[in-house]
Amino acid sequence: MTGYLLRRIPTAIVVLAVASILIFAVLRLIPGGPEAALAGPDATAAELAAIRHDLGLDQAFITQYLAWVGDILALDLGTSYQVGGSIADLIGFGLINTLILTVAALIIAILLALALALTAVLFDNRFVAGLLTVVNAAAIALPTFVVGTVLILVFGVRLRLLPAGGIPPNGFTESLQISTQYLILPALTLGLPAGAMLARFLTESLRTELQQPYVLTARALGASRTDIVLKHALRNALPPTLTALGITVGALLGGAVLVESIFGWPGLGLLTEEGIFARDYPLVQVLILLSVAVFVIIQLLADIVHAWLDPRIRLAGDR
Amino acid sequence: MPRHRGARAAAVIVAILLALAAVGCESAVSQQQNSTAPAAPGGPTPRGGDLRVGVLGDLSPKAFLQIGTGSMNGQVVANSFDTLIRYARDSLTVEPSLATAWQLAPDGRSLALDLRTDVTFHDGRPFVSSDVENSIKAYLSGPWTPQFKRTAAAITRFDTSDPHRVILHFAHPLSNIFDLLDSAPVIDQNTLPELKAGTAFNGTGPFRFDSWQPNSTVRLVRNEHYWGGAPALESVTFVVVRDDQSLFTRLRTGQIDVADGLSYHDQQLVTQRYGFTGLTLTGAESQEYVGINVTNPALSDVRVRRAIAYAIDRPRIINDVFRGSGYTVNLPWPEWSPAYRPEANTTYTRDLDKARALITETGPIPPLTLDYSTQGNDRVIAEIVQSNLGDVGIEVRLVPNDRTQQSSKLIGGKFEGLWLLQHAFAQFTPSTLAVSAYPFNAAKNSSNYSNPAYSAAAEAAWTVRDSSSPEALAAYRELDEAWLRDLFLVEIGVVLRQVATAPSVGNIDWDRRNQLHFAGTYLASEGKQ
Amino acid sequence: MTTDQSSTTTTVAAGPNAEDPDLVPGLLPESPGDREARHPRTPLWRSLLHGTGLVGSILVITVILCGTIGPLFTPYAPDQQIDGAYLLQPSLDHWFGTDDVNRDIATRVLYGIRIDLLIIFLAVPIGAALGVVAGLATVTHPASDVIAQRVFDVILAFPALILGITLTAILGPGAVTVGVVIALAEIPIFGRLTRTSVLRVRELPYVEAARVSGATTSRILLRHVLPHSLEALSVQFALSLSLAVFIEGALSYLGIGVVAPAPSLGSILAGGNGYLETNPWFSLGPLIAVSILVLGFYLIAQSISHDRRLRR
Repeated sequence: MTGYLLRRIPTAIVVLAVASILIFAVLRLIPGGPEAALAGPDATAAELAAIRHDLGLDQAFITQYLAWVGDILALDLGTSYQVGGSIADLIGFGLINTLILTVAALIIAILLALALALTAVLFDNRFVAGLLTVVNAAAIALPTFVVGTVLILVFGVRLRLLPAGGIPPNGFTESLQISTQYLILPALTLGLPAGAMLARFLTESLRTELQQPYVLTARALGASRTDIVLKHALRNALPPTLTALGITVGALLGGAVLVESIFGWPGLGLLTEEGIFARDYPLVQVLILLSVAVFVIIQLLADIVHAWLDPRIRLAGDR
Repeated sequence: MPRHRGARAAAVIVAILLALAAVGCESAVSQQQNSTAPAAPGGPTPRGGDLRVGVLGDLSPKAFLQIGTGSMNGQVVANSFDTLIRYARDSLTVEPSLATAWQLAPDGRSLALDLRTDVTFHDGRPFVSSDVENSIKAYLSGPWTPQFKRTAAAITRFDTSDPHRVILHFAHPLSNIFDLLDSAPVIDQNTLPELKAGTAFNGTGPFRFDSWQPNSTVRLVRNEHYWGGAPALESVTFVVVRDDQSLFTRLRTGQIDVADGLSYHDQQLVTQRYGFTGLTLTGAESQEYVGINVTNPALSDVRVRRAIAYAIDRPRIINDVFRGSGYTVNLPWPEWSPAYRPEANTTYTRDLDKARALITETGPIPPLTLDYSTQGNDRVIAEIVQSNLGDVGIEVRLVPNDRTQQSSKLIGGKFEGLWLLQHAFAQFTPSTLAVSAYPFNAAKNSSNYSNPAYSAAAEAAWTVRDSSSPEALAAYRELDEAWLRDLFLVEIGVVLRQVATAPSVGNIDWDRRNQLHFAGTYLASEGKQ
Repeated sequence: MTTDQSSTTTTVAAGPNAEDPDLVPGLLPESPGDREARHPRTPLWRSLLHGTGLVGSILVITVILCGTIGPLFTPYAPDQQIDGAYLLQPSLDHWFGTDDVNRDIATRVLYGIRIDLLIIFLAVPIGAALGVVAGLATVTHPASDVIAQRVFDVILAFPALILGITLTAILGPGAVTVGVVIALAEIPIFGRLTRTSVLRVRELPYVEAARVSGATTSRILLRHVLPHSLEALSVQFALSLSLAVFIEGALSYLGIGVVAPAPSLGSILAGGNGYLETNPWFSLGPLIAVSILVLGFYLIAQSISHDRRLRR
């Protein structure tokens, strides 16, 4: 296992390093610098130059980059141009909101996937399969921004059952019930397509498992289909599904940009979008690097869990 | 067998749904309805309550005193700070605020202001004349670029020997000095670094700064010691909303009491169909215009610019896009401005024959670009203008920009052909427009237009003592003529900003910069939905 | 989602000569002849013509027909502003009503389909081709493997929408940018998928046989390995087409899609979003088109993967 980790971790670090250079360079390629967002329309060239100097943007690219990396390694995330506050605070607040939303969406996605996949495999008949395909397909086929807007209109505006957006005014810790209600619509919007994708994947894996010879053997030994599915097939189908889950989390974090935008959810996605529009380099750099790091770590974890579950991988290179 | 297992799974799912439904017992929706102190009908102004105001955009301390950087800054400026004077809403009458009286010297080169003696900052420090000097210097020194920079810079000396009287000395007569005094807030020098960092907003205004959760809320609480009397509201919570769509749903579902920045369509919907109150912010007008880069070879011929002015269907834009909240003009002045002349506004109306004739004279012109901002409703206007110009044979290619790109192009004068934006500052002293409003700035503007006569008229209007004297009016006339003749920008119309409030909200005031003042605002419970 | 296996196999084939342990447990040994006999092309087409695949094909073809032939029958131009036709209700003249710029929405939807199809049918194949080439490159040399793998990781690590927002800010909005974003997002997906498939097939006896008989690597890859991976790639291709419709829509929703006044399904949807309460039909047309298109591609993908499993 150690050998495996020794091989896997350096590559993750390389990915992070390359990504950090890309992020740093790409942001500065966007036309219109932060001084345009900060200065008023009446600003003179000298004032613009002063702002650039103030932000350290008149230094050489490599100097700026190294300074930034140095700060990051010293765990100093810097201050935001636009907001002027500490980036760590900004991200802390946004991260909690995004995590709450993502976890809620993930729970919905997993429940949905298990429900759909098990129903599909257990009721092995054409009608149920067809019905599930339609449900599944609809969840995938309807664009997120339409689902979100329609949910808001129906449950928020017309029926007035659930809040139409935003987060609980007194924070998530005050009341679980209130928080849940604020979460339902955005988490559903975010989790629905992910759940459907996951369901498709799990169904496929389960069906593939069910065609393995050991299933035939188990059948011959008198095990029921349900037992085989739940005791054997599900267990064997889980490792690849875990990897899929890793990617799903990535997709959820990515999809959160749109959902946060629709529901006015003050998370990292909204922060990133605003940051890009305001050319808030330090803020956006850290945000994107963070999302890359999360992706890399999730991948790493998924691989490690996978390797742990499947000795062949872990041992492959140790020989 | 499988059926049973499936049934069990189904039962679990149903149980989860039921649990979720049970969670719904304590309703977030009913919790979010505003519960205020009960008001006795016909009694005094109801006191108490938290007014929740939905605002597009967040606080941006680095741009705190910069006009046009989003409305949250302005809301905090308006409610936590005071200015020396206030303009009346529908005229340029000067009304007292921190200054109670003022005397302009006969030569127009100095202004003496008597200050209130009973004013303290939120931290308890008394307000004195040196605060005026420090505030105007802080206004000028940035990091922001404030709109009345040139006016503030023309103040050469401050006489603060009397703590309750300040005398401002000018380099030359300043016809728009009161514009500056209406806009520049009195801020506390000692906490200036905290203000720039967004951690303290120590003003003299009716509400004290309580907290700021970036990307989420700004909360102000009642200043019990306000010199104008403690406000009725206990607190004001500004909610950061990112788009007009969520502003609409949150107002409708009672998550906010005031929506500042609804789309014109939604504004009409909530006020006409759902019983919300609409406020039209007269006195805070802005103008939608098509800017023209006169150095573009195709546009350097004034006949082409006149053809554009004849081609644009102004009534359609005002009626369809702004839902009638405004009126068409050829010159920037709002109806109540001393410079307003109705007859001048009929110089250019949609006349396709005239426009085509002009284009026939000049010969065919190459396709032009039209830059617009992807924020707001400029895309729709851009499409209408494109179609209007297409009608007279001018082909236009649309160039969408995000707001930073658009403003960076504006600052740099980098628009290739035409562009679409809004400007303001015709709602102040008319002379302000040609010295401080960027599209009109005689010294440097995005149209790359320069004309000695125009600069002279701008300077003349600015350095006159009295902004409504005959010589000032004559200077405005000259500016008018330059705009109508040279058309380096084509005005579409004056646009009136609107705000929607729940019926329970009463007595909202506003100023010239689209900022809402809640000092006298109250929440009544009987009007509550 | 088939890509998810890749990280597994990444590690398996860490060394160039790593002996591939039996990757698929329980598979009965097959003779090379058995394998060669299953030529993948015929069944691939058949997947489009029966069961859910047929439904999917019909849905997609319907939309394609609407987008190609439909515009011939409309009396309006997609950017034609009709006098006084501000947000009209649906009528015989305007089946889906008119939009806030006085244009016939039905016409715009038909032209929008055309633009969407053009974008996705250009961008997805280009992205897929680049991805497959990169995927094949990974297995030819250990160094290129490491580089390509990390490149995939880096691209995948950026959420697609953030990638879209950033690229649009750099390149400026437009159909081409939307295409670039879509293509870029497809490269790692196809790259990883190809790599996984190739690694699976590479150690099979008949490939071994081809290698022994002196065939060049590229020949082996093109003639033997790639056809074998075709099914998995087709599934992903169909899924990617539907994903592409999404990306176009999401970018347009954020206001950075196709440049006005050109209609795309996403931009019409985004435009109608402000009028959902008063003018729901504004959004109905593009919504139907997007959903049918995505559903169709999805059903096709499912049908192909279903058939593939049956034959295993």
